[in-house]
Amino acid sequence: MSILDWVVLVGTLTMIILYGVWKSRGQRNMESYFLDNQSMPWYIVLLSIIGTQASAVTFISAPGQAYTDGMRFVQYYFGLPIAMVVLCITFVPIFHKLKVYTAYEFLERRFDLKTRTLASSLFLIQRGLSTGISICAPSIILSSLLGWNLYWTNMIMGGLLIIYTVAGGTRAVAYTQTFQLVIIFGGMFLAGWMVVHLLPADIGFKEALQVSGKMDKLNVIVTKFDWQDKYNIWSGIIGGFFLALSYFGTDQSQVGRYITAKSVKESRLGLLMNGLVKVPMQFVILLIGALVFVFYLYFRAPIFFNEAQLAKVHRTEQGAALMALEKEYDDLGKIKQAQVKNLAAAIEGGSHERIASAKSELKATDTRSQEVRNSAISLIKKADPTADPNDTNYIFLHFVVNSLPKGLVGLLIAIIFLAAWGSIAAALNSLASTTVIDIYQRIYNKEASPEHYLKVSKLWTLVWGVFCIAVAQFAGSLGSLIEVVNVLGSWFYGVILGIFMVAFYMKKVGGTATFWSAVVSEIVVLVIYWTGTVSFLWLNAIGCLLVILLAYLFQLFLEKPRVANS
Amino acid sequence: MENQHPADEKPPLFPSWNYWYVLVIAWLVLLIVLFYCFTKTFS
Repeated sequence: MSILDWVVLVGTLTMIILYGVWKSRGQRNMESYFLDNQSMPWYIVLLSIIGTQASAVTFISAPGQAYTDGMRFVQYYFGLPIAMVVLCITFVPIFHKLKVYTAYEFLERRFDLKTRTLASSLFLIQRGLSTGISICAPSIILSSLLGWNLYWTNMIMGGLLIIYTVAGGTRAVAYTQTFQLVIIFGGMFLAGWMVVHLLPADIGFKEALQVSGKMDKLNVIVTKFDWQDKYNIWSGIIGGFFLALSYFGTDQSQVGRYITAKSVKESRLGLLMNGLVKVPMQFVILLIGALVFVFYLYFRAPIFFNEAQLAKVHRTEQGAALMALEKEYDDLGKIKQAQVKNLAAAIEGGSHERIASAKSELKATDTRSQEVRNSAISLIKKADPTADPNDTNYIFLHFVVNSLPKGLVGLLIAIIFLAAWGSIAAALNSLASTTVIDIYQRIYNKEASPEHYLKVSKLWTLVWGVFCIAVAQFAGSLGSLIEVVNVLGSWFYGVILGIFMVAFYMKKVGGTATFWSAVVSEIVVLVIYWTGTVSFLWLNAIGCLLVILLAYLFQLFLEKPRVANS
Repeated sequence: MENQHPADEKPPLFPSWNYWYVLVIAWLVLLIVLFYCFTKTFS
């Protein structure tokens, strides 16, 4: 990175920290610290919800996903708007009516203390570990691309935001997220504009779309149903709905954002607006990836985008074989450069036969390139069995670091930090609120002063921050971290969602039946995972349905039916 | 924390929240249709 990049990076991060500290004033008790006295307008709630969900990996990984697999990943978000509607009808009015600090408080009002404690403990385990991994994932990519020390990258990625998160609680988190998102969207727009600008002079936005489409990267909608296919319209609507409902309805890192709204109306508006903007937002981010794909048809792409890993293999006895594959890949790249120009000219000419012929030639070369690339990846795994064979997360940042002008590189790297900080700050805030409200205040110290609880809240925010950084320092050896986060979530999300589903929709089922059904379901989910019977993606649905089914059965045998009092 | 009862809170623009819910779902349907056309146009 150039000096200008460093100035932009350090300046942007410093500005956010100072803004967060400035917004931290006036915290007097837990209500102001965790709920900001329920004073947030809907647009701050909206941006805070988006900032919490969109982590660093969203901006690193999504364009890479479009590069390798096309834009069909956007279907993953189709269930989200439907989940927003369900949340507005069911969850939001109840959370506001009961004036809860955390989602799990509701479970004690509906069931009992043990069910509340179980759900909050499952959340703490899952969110604490996955936040640590979320710190490490972008740190590994940045340290690999820029040659930074991983230990210190983790410290900065997870450490600096602690300053304003501890000092200002929810208010500082929400307002910095707002500011961060303005910078993030501005930077991403500039990056997208630059991709098109850097293409040859005769290739504009429309032509780039046409080439990308002909290479099957604009496959936004896939209507064919396939159990093995993660991203089609059916899995997106059904699976995405359950995932979004459990994430936004039962994960305190999200619940903690919209219960800070000044009224049910503001909470609902924030969530519904999220339902309106989320899908188009993901579409635009993925479109940048589809355009980056076109860029690398015209310019040289490395055989493997994690070039630090490539350099490592070059130093082994597989180095000569890898070099031969790179030579072959580069030669094919030159052929593709000529063929893509031919395709663009054919599209310009409008002859269907010529377009079909040019497309077929380019696709054949691209397939051959892919085969050579796969051989290189096999070679990398052979030379270094610990290497991650997936370089999707390196594609967009490789483009940023190697192709964008000075200053913009610093801004894009800053965006990765800001995106990480937004979601990590919300996670720390939610971990602290759950620890203090659901465990400390409820079980260990019920009668302390507001000042004491405020001090303890700040202390726990700090403790969770340190814990997550410690997890990050050890997470580097866990392999594909994105998948590890998803696996961790799938262990617990389904069971927690099942508890809430029983609470909302099965009024005759009591606490003991729900508690034991959750315990048994959690064990079954973990056993299913360890035996490898089904893909982890199904564990959410299995956990949720098991809790509902077992709670119903246990209620028949363990307790007399009861009518919920809330 | 002075909340009105949820039933008392009228939404902006529309007479009831149901219209908002329909708007969000209709927007999703419209996006899916537009994305389908986009896919077909450029494939």
